[in-house]
Amino acid sequence: MDESPPAVDRSVPLVPADAADVALAQSGDHQAFERLYRANVGRVHALVWRMAGPERIDELTQDVFVRAWEKLGSFRGEASFSTWLHRVAVNLLLSRRVARRREQARRDEHDGVLDTEASRPRRPELVLDLETAIGRLPDGAKQVFVLHDVEGYRHQEIAEQMGIAVGTSKAQLHRARMLLRGHLEPNAKGM
Amino acid sequence: MPERDMWTVRLSEFADGELPDDERVRLEAHLAGCAQCRQTLDELISVRDLAGALRERQPDRDLWPGIAARIGAPSPAVLPLRRRWSFTLPQLAAAALLLVAVGATGTVMLTSHEASGPTGATIAAQPAAAPSAVPAAFAANVAYDDAVRQLNAILVQHRGSLDSATVRVLEESLATIDRAIARARAALATDPTDPYLNAHLAETMRQKVTLMRRAAALVAAS
Repeated sequence: MDESPPAVDRSVPLVPADAADVALAQSGDHQAFERLYRANVGRVHALVWRMAGPERIDELTQDVFVRAWEKLGSFRGEASFSTWLHRVAVNLLLSRRVARRREQARRDEHDGVLDTEASRPRRPELVLDLETAIGRLPDGAKQVFVLHDVEGYRHQEIAEQMGIAVGTSKAQLHRARMLLRGHLEPNAKGM
Repeated sequence: MPERDMWTVRLSEFADGELPDDERVRLEAHLAGCAQCRQTLDELISVRDLAGALRERQPDRDLWPGIAARIGAPSPAVLPLRRRWSFTLPQLAAAALLLVAVGATGTVMLTSHEASGPTGATIAAQPAAAPSAVPAAFAANVAYDDAVRQLNAILVQHRGSLDSATVRVLEESLATIDRAIARARAALATDPTDPYLNAHLAETMRQKVTLMRRAAALVAAS
């Protein structure tokens, strides 16, 4: 047998460590897909919580994995499965922004969003942990903040995914950070 | 706009290293003399760093049963093959020919005379390369090999239900795929971390499992 490495196109990118399970899931193996679910549910669940809030978090998390199952055939290994799944999740969550905005508006009436004023809270009870504070950001600022500062997306990617200008993404990020800085525990600052 | 306000809106970009050089230099000069902007910058960086350190959140309950129900996952007593694939012989042949056209290389397959197990298996896919050539991700994951063994057993059991033309196409396809797997594994023996080779191997393995599943579904339904 020819032992030399195959002469092939090296444009194919990195393979994920869970490639065997991905291959099995793509061929219809539900158990393999369950293993992929269990390996990734924590990250997806956190993303859903931060971007969409706690109300329908379980349902949306399940929606993400169902969507991923439906689209598995389109996964070609250009990125790791985890990265691909994450994008499936982001796309799904962003596609439901309109509905979420309505929910957010209702919540805001009861809970109150963070002040749009970029200043420190004047009352101690307004100091929040970061997760809670993120949840109370205005919708657009929250999504940009989560994608950029939590998930590591670049502004160009965010702009493309959200259908906004890069400058808008930068402005929303700055707005989110300015709002959040005033509502963090004092000992959380100055890391 | 006051100078401080003018720069405040750029502090996040500055913190992220996204300001053009000329603006960065000017902002640095402003920061040298503005304690309030320096404090704001520190706080913005703190927020960013805290966000980057946020952790995963596991759900409070197992969400898999709901997902399984929605994607049609069968109960453990039911073979998963029966639900998802229902290909006709021409479809299988087309899929197999496509895989052959993709072009790889290999050794193994559907041999009607070289039994590999106690049942006198006629379909016996066996990787040609040594196990040590398999990358760690695959070596640790026995699911692939298990799936191939199970599918092989199904094909062996039902081989007689396929016509000779289909068997020949399937043989050729699996041989092609297995040659590709063998070569990828051989190459990985000398360069186990090569990302391309790992990707190539993963894709080829996926093709093999897909083809075998389709064939198994076909014979199981016949």
